[in-house]
Amino acid sequence: MFPDRSRTAFIATALAAFGALSVLPAVYMLAQSLLGPPGSSLDAYTAVVFDARQRQLLFNTLQLGAGASLVASVIGIPLGFALARVPLRAVRMLRVLLLAPLAVPPYILALAWVYLTGAYSLAAAVFVLGTGFFPLVMLATEAAARAISVDLEEAGLLVAAPLRVLRAITLPLMWPLVAASILLVFVLSISEFGVPGLLRVRVFTTEVFTAFAALFDFSRATALALPLVVLAAAVATAAARLAHAGRLTYRSGRGNGLQWRGRRWKIVVAVAASATIIVTLAVPVGVLAREAAVATRAGESAAGAGQAIVNSVLSSAAAAALATLIGLGVGYWRTRLVTRGTVVIDALMVTLFAVPSTVVGIGLIALWNRAPLTAVYGTMWMVVVSGVARFAPVAAMLLAGAIRQVPVTTEEVAVVGGAGWLRLLVRVVIPQIWPALAASGLIVFILGFGEIGSTILVAPPGESTLPIRVYTLIANAPASQVARLALVQVAAVLLPLVAAAAVRVPWRAA
Amino acid sequence: MTSSLPISVASVALFSALACGGAPGRGASANEVTVYVSTDRVFAEPVLREYERRSGTKVNAVYDTEETKSTGLANRLLAEKERPLADVFWSNEPVRTLILKSRGVLAPYQSPSAEGIPQTFRDPEGYWTGFSARMRVIVYNTNLVTPDQVPASIFDLVDPEWKGQVAIADPRFGSTSFHVAALYAELGEQKADEFFRRLKANDVKIVEGNSVVRDLVARGELKAGLTDTDDVNVALENGLPVAMVIPDREGIGVAVMPNMVSLIARAPHAERGRALVDYLLSTAVEQMLAQSEAVQIPLHTGVAPPKNLPALAAVKPMLLDYGKAAARVEDVTRRLQPILGL
Repeated sequence: MFPDRSRTAFIATALAAFGALSVLPAVYMLAQSLLGPPGSSLDAYTAVVFDARQRQLLFNTLQLGAGASLVASVIGIPLGFALARVPLRAVRMLRVLLLAPLAVPPYILALAWVYLTGAYSLAAAVFVLGTGFFPLVMLATEAAARAISVDLEEAGLLVAAPLRVLRAITLPLMWPLVAASILLVFVLSISEFGVPGLLRVRVFTTEVFTAFAALFDFSRATALALPLVVLAAAVATAAARLAHAGRLTYRSGRGNGLQWRGRRWKIVVAVAASATIIVTLAVPVGVLAREAAVATRAGESAAGAGQAIVNSVLSSAAAAALATLIGLGVGYWRTRLVTRGTVVIDALMVTLFAVPSTVVGIGLIALWNRAPLTAVYGTMWMVVVSGVARFAPVAAMLLAGAIRQVPVTTEEVAVVGGAGWLRLLVRVVIPQIWPALAASGLIVFILGFGEIGSTILVAPPGESTLPIRVYTLIANAPASQVARLALVQVAAVLLPLVAAAAVRVPWRAA
Repeated sequence: MTSSLPISVASVALFSALACGGAPGRGASANEVTVYVSTDRVFAEPVLREYERRSGTKVNAVYDTEETKSTGLANRLLAEKERPLADVFWSNEPVRTLILKSRGVLAPYQSPSAEGIPQTFRDPEGYWTGFSARMRVIVYNTNLVTPDQVPASIFDLVDPEWKGQVAIADPRFGSTSFHVAALYAELGEQKADEFFRRLKANDVKIVEGNSVVRDLVARGELKAGLTDTDDVNVALENGLPVAMVIPDREGIGVAVMPNMVSLIARAPHAERGRALVDYLLSTAVEQMLAQSEAVQIPLHTGVAPPKNLPALAAVKPMLLDYGKAAARVEDVTRRLQPILGL
């Protein structure tokens, strides 16, 4: 649109940081796997095609991802829309309670359901991951529903019924951000190891893990990760094509738009939200509390956890802030400056996120444990680096979707008015994507807080995060102890969420 | 127009707090040593805290997670091989240590504290020394198994009376992986394959960890399982209806898994690492671990065994070359995957 050094500097810096932190570890590991011992990587790659067992694993993985995405969408989309368009009392607290399942590591949720039902199956894994990740879809749906223009809706309501307006105007405008969140759930599900491992479901992540933990073969493990990445890329490409197909531009308005204010709707939403909270939060937490009630070494659960909690909160918050900033630059570049190959770029961002965390962790060690980066390696900053490496692609995906909904005309008007690019970004773009920025930061914070696969590989000796502390104490601790530690971890994430809910977030975009 | 960006402000504040928090950097220590520990944290941490108290040296420990939930410290040591952060590796079973030795991660050190530990548990080249061992035992539910039904050998578990009533931890990881490798080394491939095929045909339950085996048996969901002595002891201390059998006293003997301690090659604090190794191999540490819930069996002669367990001299251990057994782990893992349907 216009040459501006500040834009070039900001975006170049964001892309460089993204490349160095998120792309390079995966590329490095891929290169190592291809340049490894002759035949080893080729065996792994060809096995995917010719080995029936590997094909079954891939099929299981696909079912897991698709099933969890479907469950998360069925729960998350209606609730997210309701939070945005049905005026409710105590909506902030309701939002916190609905977000809370995301704060519980999927493995812990699975443990609770195993205690309750004893079910070990693919269906159980789909249920656990779907009910654990639905807040992502809900958050994105609410952000999208709040951010879009009401002018078009009000214009539509003049000539059409609300449901038609919803179908023809509102949902297509929401789709990019919602689709990005569903894709995120899919990738999170197929790259998840703890839940299928616990529930005895054979998927590709378990194969990757075996190659690392049982065979100590980095090259093979990386090669085995490739089918996951390809699967994620294929789904991402399909989703990106769907998202591009129905794009509309719009501008913000000040009316009410499409809302459901009737008492009947409020009751329906209240009942649905309550049922969701009971099933996805109250039941698993209640089961854990029941198990924890019989803990015999209660003091050890909390002893020493204070510093670990502080480490987790600070490092996750720093990673969330950095990842969001990088995601803003990369998202803007993707949406405004890239004219060709957008589908490929979108797919690439998803594939980065699909790379198993252990592969990322080993890649980070290889890249950062060398001069002059040894000043950072061995410090808590590596935990921040790990969080950014894993989740900057998530932020970029979400913010690209949000920026796509900002009319270019608003930027052009600012340029005509004499604004430089940075001023335009801060005063025009960011206020319009503020809900998505907040959602992105929150999502990265929560995901980063619970992350352990790469964190445990790079956390400095003598320092710990809460998940590391929890997981290192799980070994040989009784189920009751595990349950108590899990509750500590849940509380440690929920408290910042509750605090954030207490701060008034300007959800309505300017 | 909306107000400024509270998230940015908050993040700047958090950055500052993080930076000012003074997280330790590499080589910043005046008197510190770094140890990577795959022994359960609840058992290892008191030992290391005691070392801090005695020596005045700060111990930076990195602990491992439950076996099936992370790649383990061994992978971290492999990845850091050229520029290690660790000075010492304390492993709770031989497999990881022997693999690290084969990959050039360890450095030789013959500790004077190893005096009195049988040669079987010491690497001739000095790359590792064993101490405080566990055994692979059969745990059974005393409400479901009568005294005359108690299995005397692990090979009894393939009999029809145990169909669907036996659990083992995933044999690809941890102490179970060592156990199966030891069986392959002892029995040979044909007999070992046959044993595991018969276990599979007998509907053996494969679960994620030894503690899960113990819990299933203690709850009466299964009659018996293979697990480690420390896992069974936790149940005994809690008064649960279980007992253990030290198997194959008349046959191949019981698999004994020592802890192993090693110096790391190119360790940043090699001298302090050696001092820590000396401490870990001392009779005092073996006594601590014997008296704790870990109930680890001392290898030094003259140190009292833990409650509920016999001294090493009173059992028939499997005669093992730990190096050869560990060298088989990767091959055995690949063999077992199709046999057990993993």
